[in-house]
Amino acid sequence: MMTSLLKLDNIHTHIGQYHILQGVHFEAKEGEVSVLLGRNGAGKTTTLKTIIGLTPASSGTVTFINGDITKKPTYDIANLGIGYVPEDQGIFAQLSVEENIKVAMRKETDESKEKLEYVLNLFPDLKKFWKKAGGNLSGGQKQMLAMARAFVNDSKLLLIDEPSKGLAPIVIEKVMEAIIEMKKRTTIVLVEQNFIMASKIGDSFTLIDDGKTVHHGQMKELIADDELKHKYLGIG
Amino acid sequence: MMNKPLLLSRSNIILFIILLALIAFPFVMDSRTLTILITQILIFGILAMSYDILLGYTGIVSFGHAMFFGIGAYCTAIMLNDFESTIGTFIGSIIVGMIIAGILSFIVGLLTLRLKSHFFAMLTMAISGLLLVVAEKWRDVTRGNDGFTFKAPEVFKDRVMFYLVVLALLVIVFIALKRFVSSPLGRVLIAVRENEQRTKSLGFKTLYYKVIASVVAGVIASLAGSLYAVSLRFVNTSVLTMEVTLDALLMTIIGGVGTLIGPLIGSVVIESAQHYLSGLARDFPIFERWIIFFGIIYILAVIFFPKGIVGTLQMKYFQWKNKKNQLNVVPLSKNKESSK
Amino acid sequence: MDLIISLVINGLATGMLIFLLAAGLTLIFGLMDVLNFAHGGLFVWGAYAGIFSYAYTGSFTLGIIAAIITGLILGFIMEKLIIKPVYGNHVQQILITLGTMLVLQEMIKVFFGPNVVAVKVPELLAGSWQVGDIIIIKYRIFIIIFGFIVFGLFHYILTRTKIGLIVRAGVMNKEMVQALGINIKRIFLFVFMTGAALAAVAGVLMAPYSGAIYAELGMEYAILAFIVVVIGGMGSFQGSLFAAILVGLAGSFMAYYVPYLSLAVNMIIMAVVLIFRPQGLFTAAKG
Repeated sequence: MMTSLLKLDNIHTHIGQYHILQGVHFEAKEGEVSVLLGRNGAGKTTTLKTIIGLTPASSGTVTFINGDITKKPTYDIANLGIGYVPEDQGIFAQLSVEENIKVAMRKETDESKEKLEYVLNLFPDLKKFWKKAGGNLSGGQKQMLAMARAFVNDSKLLLIDEPSKGLAPIVIEKVMEAIIEMKKRTTIVLVEQNFIMASKIGDSFTLIDDGKTVHHGQMKELIADDELKHKYLGIG
Repeated sequence: MMNKPLLLSRSNIILFIILLALIAFPFVMDSRTLTILITQILIFGILAMSYDILLGYTGIVSFGHAMFFGIGAYCTAIMLNDFESTIGTFIGSIIVGMIIAGILSFIVGLLTLRLKSHFFAMLTMAISGLLLVVAEKWRDVTRGNDGFTFKAPEVFKDRVMFYLVVLALLVIVFIALKRFVSSPLGRVLIAVRENEQRTKSLGFKTLYYKVIASVVAGVIASLAGSLYAVSLRFVNTSVLTMEVTLDALLMTIIGGVGTLIGPLIGSVVIESAQHYLSGLARDFPIFERWIIFFGIIYILAVIFFPKGIVGTLQMKYFQWKNKKNQLNVVPLSKNKESSK
Repeated sequence: MDLIISLVINGLATGMLIFLLAAGLTLIFGLMDVLNFAHGGLFVWGAYAGIFSYAYTGSFTLGIIAAIITGLILGFIMEKLIIKPVYGNHVQQILITLGTMLVLQEMIKVFFGPNVVAVKVPELLAGSWQVGDIIIIKYRIFIIIFGFIVFGLFHYILTRTKIGLIVRAGVMNKEMVQALGINIKRIFLFVFMTGAALAAVAGVLMAPYSGAIYAELGMEYAILAFIVVVIGGMGSFQGSLFAAILVGLAGSFMAYYVPYLSLAVNMIIMAVVLIFRPQGLFTAAKG
C-alpha cells in the first residue's frame, strides 16, 4: 500500500488581494508521479509555490510525512527534503553549472558525492558543460540542471513545474526519461500542460480549475475519460 | 459610491467651519507673528499637497521636489526685482514659474518615470542637486548662497492682505486637486499606485499618467515657491535644497498620504514645531536638534502608521462606525450554512 | 606629465574611497533589493567615530578599527529595526532609509557638535615622496593600496567561498536560494553589516584626505556612491570598482581643467546611464 507523502487539505492562497487558490485538495503517494493538470491560470503553479512556502497558504493545511509544514519558511521546507524546479528553472545565470550545483549541495558527505555522480550520469550534458555559465545553456540543458540541482540533496519529494515548456520533442523525451529514472529514488509532483507527456509518465492526476480541485484519480482513468479531458483540458 | 450630495457631508462642514475661522482669525487676533506663521503653514501646505499628488496618489517617491519650488521662488523674486513690483508682475511671475516648472517636470518625468522607484528617487535627487549647484554658481542671476531681497507689491505690505490671498489660493488649489483626484484620471493614478503592472495590463499607458501627475505636482509646487519668496521678500539657494523636499515629505507622511488634508495637517504640525521649538532652543539647547524627534516620528510613521495622522484617524473612524452598525444589525435569519 | 600623474593618483584615491562606500551599497541592493539611502549616515559616523578614537588614543589603526566596529553595530541595528519591517515594499524602504539618514546626521551634531572638525593626516602616512619632478602624496597611495586590498579580499570571498557563492546566487535569484534550503535572511544581515562596516571605513579614511569633517558630508558622498552604483550596475561588485575609478578620475580631471563642470559631470553621467542603460555600464544584461 502506497503511503501518503504529501497532503494538501482545503488550501486557500491569496496573493495580494487576489484569491488564487480557493480550496485545493491534493495527495502525493510515495514513489509515484502525481500530476497536477488544468488550464492556464488555474492555479497549478501557485499550488507548488504554496507547498514550498513561497506563497504561503492563507488557510488549510499542508502535511509532509506527517508533519505540518503549512506555515514553515521556504528554506525549512526545502531542508525537510522537498526539492523545487520552478517554471523558469531558476538557474543562476552568471554562475557556472558547477557553481549552480554547489549552491544546492548542503553537505559534502560521501552520500551526496555519490548522489552527484548518479545525477551527472543521468544528465551527461552537465558534465560536459561543467564550467559553462548557466545562462548560456540551451533550454533543455537548463531544465536538466534545474532538476539535477533539486535532486542532488536527499530530496524525498520533487516539485517540477512544466518541465516540457518551450522544449523540442526530442528534448522532452530526454526529460521524460530522466523523470522516470528519478522516480526510482524519489517521489515526484509534476505540473504539466503537455497532456501527452503527463499521461505517459504520470501515475495519478489531480485536476485543478479556478483554484479548486475538481477531480482526481489514476492516470489510466483520465486517459480513457474523453468528457473530463475535454471539459477541463480542452482536448479530446 | 454614495448618492448623497457630498457637498453637505460631515467632513465638508467641518472644513468649512475651519475655513471661516481662518478667514476671521486675522481680524480677531492682532498678532503679526501668528499671521506670518499661519501664512507659512498655508504656503507649505500647498507644497505638501503637491507632493501628496506624487507620493500619496500615484505612489512616486521624488527627492527632487525642491527644484520646482525653487523655480517658482526665483521666478517671482527675479521678476519682482527687475520689473515694477506690482500685482500684475506678481501674477505674471507665478504664471512664468508654473510654465517653466511644468516644462521641466514634463521633460524630467518623461525621461525618468519609466525607471524603477529606486532609480527615480536617485535621479531626482541628482537633478535637484545639479540645479542647486547651477544656482549657486550662476551668481549673476541668483546671487548664489547670499541671495537677494526685493520689494513685494504694495498691496502685500499689509500682512493680512497677503495672508488672505494665500488662503484663497490654498482653497482653490485644494478644491482643484480634490476634483483632480476624484476624476477618472485621478482614479488611474491611484490604480498605478496600487499596482502598476495590473494597470498597464489593463491597457493604460501608465507612463503618460505618471508624467501628468508629475507636471501637476511641479506646477503647484512652483506656485508655493512664488508665494514663499514674496512672504520673505528674500530668496537664496536654500529654496532648492534637499531640506525643502524633506519638509514636504515629512509633512505628507506624518499628516497622512493620499488624503490631501493630511499634508495640510502635516504642515501645521511641522511648521508650528519649527517655530516654537526653535524658540525654545534658545533657552534650552536640547531643542536645537528637534528635527531628530521628527525624524524618529517619521520612521515610526512609515513602519506603523503608513497612513499618517489623517489616515489613521479615518481608519479608526470607519472601524468605529462599522462596530456601531454591527451592533445595530438585527439578524433576519439564521446564518446560512456555507456551501462547500 | 607630472600633472597627469598627480591627477591620476588623485582620481584613483578618490575613486577608491567612493568604491568602499559604493561596494556595500551595491551588494545590499543586489542581494536584498534595498536601496539604503542611509548609507551616507554610516559613512559619516565611521568618520567621526574613527577620528575621535584616533584623537583620543593617538593611533590611526585604532581609529580604523573603531570605525569598523561602529559600522557593524549601526548596521546590525539598522537591519533589524529599520530594514526588516519594510521588507519588500520599495516605497517604504526609500522613505524610511532617508529618514534614518536624517536622524543619523542630526545625531552626529548631538554627539560631536555641529561644527566642522579639522583632521590631520596621521604622522606615518603624512608627507610625500619625490620621484624626479613628480610629487607623490603618501596618504593617497595608502588609500589606493588599501582599496585594492579590500577589493582583492572581497573578490576572493565572493568567488572562492561558499558564502560568497550564496551571496552571488542570492543577487541573481533570492527565491531560488531559499528553495534550495538556505536561510537567506541571515545572509542579508551579514551582508548589510559588512556593507555598513565598509562605509564606515571609507569615512574614517576620507577624513584625513579631505582635512575636515562635518555632518552633511554623509549625504554629499552618498550621492556620489549612488552615481557609482548606478554606473557600475546594481549588484555588481566589480562594476562598482570600475565605476568608482571612472568617477574618481573624471572628477579629478574635470576639477582641474573644467572646474565649472566637475560637480555636474558625475550627475550627468548617471542621468545618461539611467536613461539609456539602466543595468549599468559594466554588467552583462541579466540573463
